[in-house]
Amino acid sequence: MTASGESQILDRGYRRFEGQRSGVGGAVRSLSWHTARGVLGLGRKARYKIAPAIIIAIAFLPAVIWAGLAAFLGGEFFAEFDVTPEYSELAQQSIAAIVLFVTLVAPDALVRDRRDGMLSLYLSTPLTRVTYLISKIFTVTGVLAIIVLIPTLIYLLALTFASFGPDGFGNWMLTLGRIVLSGVLASLVFALISMACSSLTDRRAFASVAVFLVMFGLLTVVGVMIEVGDASTNWRVLDPLNMPFELISRIFGARGEYPEISTASVYLANGGWASGSLGLIWWRLRGAS
Amino acid sequence: MRHDVRVAVIVASELSMVFGNHRALDALDLEVHSGVTGLVGANGAGKTTFMSIVLGLRAATTGTVQVLGLDPLRQGAELRSVVGYGPERNVFPDEMPASDFVKHLAEVRGMPRSEARSRASDALWLVGLGEERFRALGTMSTGQRQRVKLAQAIAADPSLVLLDEPTDGLDPVQRDEMLALIRQISNDYGIDVMLSSHLLEEVERICDHVVALDAGRLVAQGRLDQLVGDVEGVTLELVDAPDLAGSAEAVAAAIAATGLEVTRDPDTMRMDVFGGDTDAIADAVRDAVADSGARIGRLENRRRRLEDLFEAAQ
Repeated sequence: MTASGESQILDRGYRRFEGQRSGVGGAVRSLSWHTARGVLGLGRKARYKIAPAIIIAIAFLPAVIWAGLAAFLGGEFFAEFDVTPEYSELAQQSIAAIVLFVTLVAPDALVRDRRDGMLSLYLSTPLTRVTYLISKIFTVTGVLAIIVLIPTLIYLLALTFASFGPDGFGNWMLTLGRIVLSGVLASLVFALISMACSSLTDRRAFASVAVFLVMFGLLTVVGVMIEVGDASTNWRVLDPLNMPFELISRIFGARGEYPEISTASVYLANGGWASGSLGLIWWRLRGAS
Repeated sequence: MRHDVRVAVIVASELSMVFGNHRALDALDLEVHSGVTGLVGANGAGKTTFMSIVLGLRAATTGTVQVLGLDPLRQGAELRSVVGYGPERNVFPDEMPASDFVKHLAEVRGMPRSEARSRASDALWLVGLGEERFRALGTMSTGQRQRVKLAQAIAADPSLVLLDEPTDGLDPVQRDEMLALIRQISNDYGIDVMLSSHLLEEVERICDHVVALDAGRLVAQGRLDQLVGDVEGVTLELVDAPDLAGSAEAVAAAIAATGLEVTRDPDTMRMDVFGGDTDAIADAVRDAVADSGARIGRLENRRRRLEDLFEAAQ
């Protein structure tokens, strides 16, 4: 103990911890919270907050506009002019936000740990490679779902309060279920594709370029094959940018942008992208020391 | 203090690790007891591989290992919640304050959030970074970063701490301070420590036990005071001067002629004399030096050092 006048600095020494440790569950929760804060720029310098703030603003703008229109003009206006988008279309209005998220923000979740040596430290804790990966997928999907899911939920509530929502409690719950299911699944596919590209490098800029190339490169290649090469439209299943949106449409029972592709193919394509990405992430993680 | 000398902290039996054609660990049978244990060996001796097996991060090719009574592979998560680890790599999230870094890892190791915060602060004070705890890691010196690594390893109240080359990159003063901290962690806080190092001198200074590896093979293990220290005989070092050329050979020959054993490094003026009682050795050295006209630079009891164990294993 040191003292000066009446002030004291107490040497607390080293204390034993006799309480209950939180185990693997606590480790996963802590890592998820830390990752979510990191990708959203919380607790980091201001420049890391800019991209997430812009992305959230872009994502929520359409839903906020529709909610404002519903509040000021009411359901009668919507009924008369029939201008409201389908629930399955609202996520597509946030495509810019989703693309920005998967290219600029999501790569941070994996890249930082490899670059900063945190991965080897995490693996010396109760976390294993499996639980580490579960935490990361859960977090990136969860944060992305905020962008994909919440605007549509705001839209649903706005239309409901304007008496223009789904008819009856059963339909309302069915719509809610479809919004949640489609939003989570589409977020999962986007998150896995972004993480797979990110797992190939320790540099965030390279990861962003890789995600962009996969998303827009394949979109372009498939487009050229179909439009110029006269290939089958089924090649659209290789388009990782539009297949998750197509999945949202099919969950709502709509045919989406590519009605010529069967619903089974859409599900298989998304499953293929998700499982392929997961395999790549796992392969890279297994090789990490 | 909670050292329990009756319980082996680590027990390995017939432990081997093979990577392709390379045998990183070769049938190790060893026990590590409470206190500070030095895991020594040259780079590539198998130290880091052994640590990764102890942490349950790798499965041994053959053999078994128990750490704190737990199987690292089957009970890895439970084990790693009570084991602190300081990696060799000196890379950190640069923008993160030291306190956040230590707190986060304490939480991941199972501390409740409020407990993790106070323990992170305490751990940083204990390693001498109390005033610096809110500084970003990227602004810290190598010595401070090594201390942060130590703080994160002890913050979650582990029973065992594994430190991989904890003095790497430190200057002599910083190295002394780090070694004193490690000794303090074991003596004052009752935490068992295993540190890997290729610097035998620092292991001799602070360790109670030693596990010496050479190319994956066990060279020696046990209490340091039983493996090194004074042994029978003396070490004689003669003054090296132009007018005394050939004196070392003459002295060695004269001593050997009395029936004692002499081992001499041909590149230096040092020789070990043994194989007789103390009086006989003293008389033989005195007479040989006087007759040859040599001058004694140093005369001391013969000691066995860790490097002697490695040389004997060659």
